[in-house]
Amino acid sequence: MHDAVTAAPAPNFLERLQRAGSAGGAAIVLLVLFAVFALAGRNFLTPGNLVNIAMQSTILLLLALPMTLIILTEGLDLSMGAVLTLCNVVLALVAVKTGALAPALAAALAVGLAFGLLNGTLVAALRIPPFVATLGTLGVAQGLALVVTDGQSVVGIPDAVQQMNSGLWFGLLPPPIAIAALAYLAMHLLLYQTRFGAYVFALGGNREALTLAGIHARGNLIAVYVLGGLMAGLAALLLTARINAGHPTAAIGMEFDAIAAVAVGGTSFERGKGWLLGTVLGVLAVGVLRNGLNLMSVPSSVQVSAIGVLVIVALLIDAFRGDRR
Amino acid sequence: MTAASLDLNRGPLAHLSQGTRSVVYRLLAMALIAAAMSFASEAFLTSNNLLNVLRQASLLFLLASGLTLVILTAGLDLSVGANVALSACLAATVIKGTGSVALGVAAGLGAGSLVGLANGLLVTLLRIPPFIATYGMLWILHGVTYWFMKGETIHGFPPAFRAVGSGYWLGVPIPVYVMLLFLAAGIVFAQRTTWGQEIYAIGANPEAARLSGVPVRRRLVLVYVASGAMAGLASLIFLARLNSAEGDIGETLTLPAIAAVLIGGTSLFGGVGSMLGTLVGAVILTLVLNFMNLLTINANWQPLVTGVIVVLAVFLDNLTRKGDSR
Amino acid sequence: MKTLQTMTLTLAALAALAAAGVARADNERLAVFTKNQTNPYFQAVRLGTEAASRQMKATVTHYVPTKPDSIPEQMSQIEDVIVKKPDAIVFIPVDYKAMAPGVQKINTAKIPVVNVTDRSEVGAFVSFVGASDYDLGKETARALFKAMGGKGNVIGIEGVKGSLTNIDRQRGMRDALKDFPNIKLLASQPGNYQRLQALQVMENLMQSYPQIDGVFAANDAMASGAIEAMEAANRKALVVGINGTKEAIDAINAGKMLATGDYNGFLQGCLGTMAALRSLRGQPVPKEIVLPAAVIDKANAARHAVPVEQRSCPRWEDAVKG
Repeated sequence: MHDAVTAAPAPNFLERLQRAGSAGGAAIVLLVLFAVFALAGRNFLTPGNLVNIAMQSTILLLLALPMTLIILTEGLDLSMGAVLTLCNVVLALVAVKTGALAPALAAALAVGLAFGLLNGTLVAALRIPPFVATLGTLGVAQGLALVVTDGQSVVGIPDAVQQMNSGLWFGLLPPPIAIAALAYLAMHLLLYQTRFGAYVFALGGNREALTLAGIHARGNLIAVYVLGGLMAGLAALLLTARINAGHPTAAIGMEFDAIAAVAVGGTSFERGKGWLLGTVLGVLAVGVLRNGLNLMSVPSSVQVSAIGVLVIVALLIDAFRGDRR
Repeated sequence: MTAASLDLNRGPLAHLSQGTRSVVYRLLAMALIAAAMSFASEAFLTSNNLLNVLRQASLLFLLASGLTLVILTAGLDLSVGANVALSACLAATVIKGTGSVALGVAAGLGAGSLVGLANGLLVTLLRIPPFIATYGMLWILHGVTYWFMKGETIHGFPPAFRAVGSGYWLGVPIPVYVMLLFLAAGIVFAQRTTWGQEIYAIGANPEAARLSGVPVRRRLVLVYVASGAMAGLASLIFLARLNSAEGDIGETLTLPAIAAVLIGGTSLFGGVGSMLGTLVGAVILTLVLNFMNLLTINANWQPLVTGVIVVLAVFLDNLTRKGDSR
Repeated sequence: MKTLQTMTLTLAALAALAAAGVARADNERLAVFTKNQTNPYFQAVRLGTEAASRQMKATVTHYVPTKPDSIPEQMSQIEDVIVKKPDAIVFIPVDYKAMAPGVQKINTAKIPVVNVTDRSEVGAFVSFVGASDYDLGKETARALFKAMGGKGNVIGIEGVKGSLTNIDRQRGMRDALKDFPNIKLLASQPGNYQRLQALQVMENLMQSYPQIDGVFAANDAMASGAIEAMEAANRKALVVGINGTKEAIDAINAGKMLATGDYNGFLQGCLGTMAALRSLRGQPVPKEIVLPAAVIDKANAARHAVPVEQRSCPRWEDAVKG
């Protein structure tokens, strides 16, 4: 019995746009923000500043990419910020102890993998709703990070790790941007060119068909959460290099930013519709907004409100374009 | 039309017996925890401590009660904590500015309800998913609060007002009476009024509810207004208890409120749950945190323990809830 | 001859004055970094920087993370501010260890920077302006222990675990304790500098310990929380805090609180700004300005009663010795 799901060819660009459902919101918002800030001051459109925005967005992007896949399966991962924080702490501790990058990164990836497996098992095998399961693992990760460090920063990060935040790879790209770009490419291929990606879309849009076709829905679902955990481990490398420390509250709450970026980018919470590039636009929109407001010296309280307005406006644009029934 | 017709007799009542079972399990769990605690710490069973626990649980319940209605419709309100901050700070500003507690109370309740209304409209009219709508609202509320508080504290309120938060009547903290009042009101509303039954129906199957003539949109707006209004009420009691308002009150309240609702057995998918369950959930959560404080367990462990309890509660629910393919 | 000499001297003097005037450029742009928008202490610092800049004819822009105490966000704000090239920076790090890369970026961009309140572990600063949290903790604790008559039970409510202010204040308190052998520290629990948390901690500790004579709270917000908890339970104890907020001074005047350590955010903001501007204008600035530890109690509360918004900065010469 050949499954109808895998018989379909990988979606082409038009179909992807349709699947995106409504990626227009993010693009419009991003364009408008660019225009406004470019006009508001001379510092915004400089190459140095644009590179800053990109650098500042890489960590969030690494979280938002797997979050897109998770949301496509009608799931959520609320633990990502806490897991990233724990991985950051672990990476820092191992790096200080060994003075080397490789074991530290391996440790961080292992922690991420462990939590990804935990999340996946809770959701797929024990059938606990993703919101609840990841709310639980959020607490576990956050608690562990606090306990292991007793609330203090871990410093003395060796150069090998620090270097990840400076210099240029291939003489062209700063390492964080290079890593983020590679991660995007990998996710893109995974989502649009592999069977696994097709399953991800199906898990959200039509889970019954998947199970009926005998596809191992559980395994694929677990894999999606594992992907999230691994990316959190990778993001920990960038975070540790950026702040040159491990800190138990460094990334708490970042999962909400990631979820918002994914939603702004056009991926819907139901029906398995989404667009990976939209997520990139969503992450950039938030980064551009913050940077632009800082450059314009807008008071912090107004900035806080502006972020909320951005999120709502982006989805409003989608609503008005009639993409939501 | 039989497939789409809504049998109001079967809906909430069937859930009630399932729900009663669910609440009973939780009461048992609560009793077990309390028993364990009384063995482990002699400070636990003192009347002072128990009254403190009740007071803390009451505040958590008040916040979680409106949230229960929202979650019953398969929705979510992430803005309750920020709503508490805004309402409390606004009420404090009005009380200080006009000298009238009544005006301040009205301002707090009004602000909370308005925020709820805004959330409801975002969700129903503008079709923004509740997660995102209330998340965006959270930021907006924080921004507004920080802006007019300017990092300052407003402190010092009339004793009569403060008594509502920290006072006692007949030996029991006053917030407990408020809690009981709203518990009763909530149970009556959810189980005995048409509106309540409609809310369960919307959560269980929105399409069927709509086709049966339930004004889905209006009920959805109602639950978000309720959540906001309860946040406003809770903010007033917090204000009374703390005797001061700062921009970051309530920042740490949203997730525990959601946890209380979930531990209480209300399902995120909607249609299943109860007010009493939420109360028991709030008490269980407060008990465990109190336990850890009495044993002076490092506060760093609290998020971990909270997370584990939430997952456990839902897991056990899944086990006992047979035949529920969700 | 004499007229010529006088004229030359006068001209020289005028030229010197003119040169000095040119060196005293006005309208410098300062960037001020604080930790969050909700803690009144940082608001006092911000007001201090604004008052000083007004008096010295410069402008300040504030940068506060939208997520309170967020390390990555302060890092991003530093990067954004460097693009705007302010003349100088007044800097309170969100975390005194983890913000090192940010300070290094400021140093690389050759923007002079003054460190305020939390002493950053790393970085080249024009000056450090702060209080000795150790001394403040010690003196405030001594005031408490003396008022307790040198005996009794005391409990401590601590601030944020990893913050330097807390670490030093606790050290000070414990050292003060050594001089009072008949005072027993029953317990010390974290309240995270938060009012509500301190209230709950106090409620719980009151259950475990029926006899509490003194409370050492690491800041005023927590002291207020502890006082509220006790009032609700009809218990009394001598309470001290640190910060010198208006709320604390009102409580001291009302007899509810014993004393508060004067952690003068406004003054630190003033002096930090003045130090930055003086450095830009070529005037001498000491490498560190540590404010002496002062304890505000009923006897001297009147002196500190002016609300922060109405205060003005002291003269540099009065505040800084040498």
